[in-house]
Amino acid sequence: MKRNWMRIALACLFVGCVYCVVQTKAQNIQTQTQTQTQTETQTQTQTQTQTQTQTASPKPEEKASKKILRGDSEGELRFAAHCGRCHAPPEDISPREARAVVRQMRVRAMLSAEDERLILNYIAP
Amino acid sequence: MKIQRLFLTTIILVCSGIFACAGSIAQGQASVPVISGGVGFLSTTNGGTNYLEPIIVPVLSAPLGDHLLVEARGELLEFSSQATNGGYQRQYFNELDYTQLDYTVNSWLTIVGGRFLTPFGMYNERLIPIWIHNLQDPPLIFVIGTRTSSSSLGGMVRGAFAPSSKVEVNYAAYFSAADKSAYWGAGRAAGFRTGIFLPNRRLEIGMSYQRFLQGQRFNSFGAHLSWQPYTVPLDVKAEFAHSASGYGYWAEVAYRLSRFHGAGSAIGRLQPVFRMQQFFRLQQIAGDSLPGVSTQQADFGFDYYLPHQVRINSNYSRQFSSQGNVNIWDAGITYRFMFPLWPGGSK
Repeated sequence: MKRNWMRIALACLFVGCVYCVVQTKAQNIQTQTQTQTQTETQTQTQTQTQTQTQTASPKPEEKASKKILRGDSEGELRFAAHCGRCHAPPEDISPREARAVVRQMRVRAMLSAEDERLILNYIAP
Repeated sequence: MKIQRLFLTTIILVCSGIFACAGSIAQGQASVPVISGGVGFLSTTNGGTNYLEPIIVPVLSAPLGDHLLVEARGELLEFSSQATNGGYQRQYFNELDYTQLDYTVNSWLTIVGGRFLTPFGMYNERLIPIWIHNLQDPPLIFVIGTRTSSSSLGGMVRGAFAPSSKVEVNYAAYFSAADKSAYWGAGRAAGFRTGIFLPNRRLEIGMSYQRFLQGQRFNSFGAHLSWQPYTVPLDVKAEFAHSASGYGYWAEVAYRLSRFHGAGSAIGRLQPVFRMQQFFRLQQIAGDSLPGVSTQQADFGFDYYLPHQVRINSNYSRQFSSQGNVNIWDAGITYRFMFPLWPGGSK
């Protein structure tokens, strides 16, 4: 009975991880396909030199990290990268309150001075 | 004794606030001290016995100028356990988890003094707030490295630096003095934690080490992993820890259903969670707060994120050990709050 439970639990964990990895891969492929399509279209209208410059676009995960965030601001990206790993942004926070909170999180989450400045601008502009 | 503790907690928080006021005024009012934290009502049924736990966990954050910060966290709770006659026995606890002064030297170095959360693994420092952790109960191995109080009394240096835009390295090293008082209890120990974080992938891998230097001397070490891919609303966290008492691990996967009509939709607010954990006992050490025998546990849960920072948690756990298998049912509601220390501070 005990072993069966453990097997079921491990199977669930394994299936979940496989599903997520497959989904991530599928999205990366989709992003790459879109990039290639755009590049091919641009090739028809632009010179070969220009096309080579455009293929040096950000990597799929970097694009995805920006795509998933609506504003695409640097502060939003920093928030997602550091703070968003544990919690959502606070609601209705004033700039004065935000300064205190972000100062605390700079120590707790080991943020750099630049992270602190950008995140502060994002949560309480 | 309880009144004395409550009084002391209040005094410390109020004094910190007064100092913060002075600091803010001196600095031309750049920020306002803030009380944030969580309040919740938690219930547990463990092996047929019911427990109820209303809890408030306020956190003070008070900057003093550009480099100094006072932060403190209290914990007030009532623990009601079901007695054999069907009634409830109540116990009240109020604790000060940490009260620390942080001095930010530069972008990659902060010096911390006072009572602080022991930086071992990631659960104690990052996931312990009731409004953050996905499953109500802490992992079986939580006390390895953090010990029973989960706090240290002494000094710490910590920070992070980025060798490149794609890699960040974080570190924390500390020394804790022994204190046997009931209020500031801490063990004599020294240790460090370090981690490598890849911001583009939201992947962090780290390790922790601690040398316990009080009474029986032994080493504890651990490793942690945290991964939240940008492309999928997935949250993967895992820890391993080893001490003289035993070793074990936990691995947790949470998937927010925000792909279904958005994170604000009825189904998108739901987050299924699964955690697997095992602990293997090596030897009995009195007072280590770990399971008495080797134990395995599987946890299945659902979190539901309501508007205005309210969250409903529920989970079922099945625990296996040679002492008997038990079912654990948890349910609770938590609210994350934040307000300035005095009226008008939110303007």
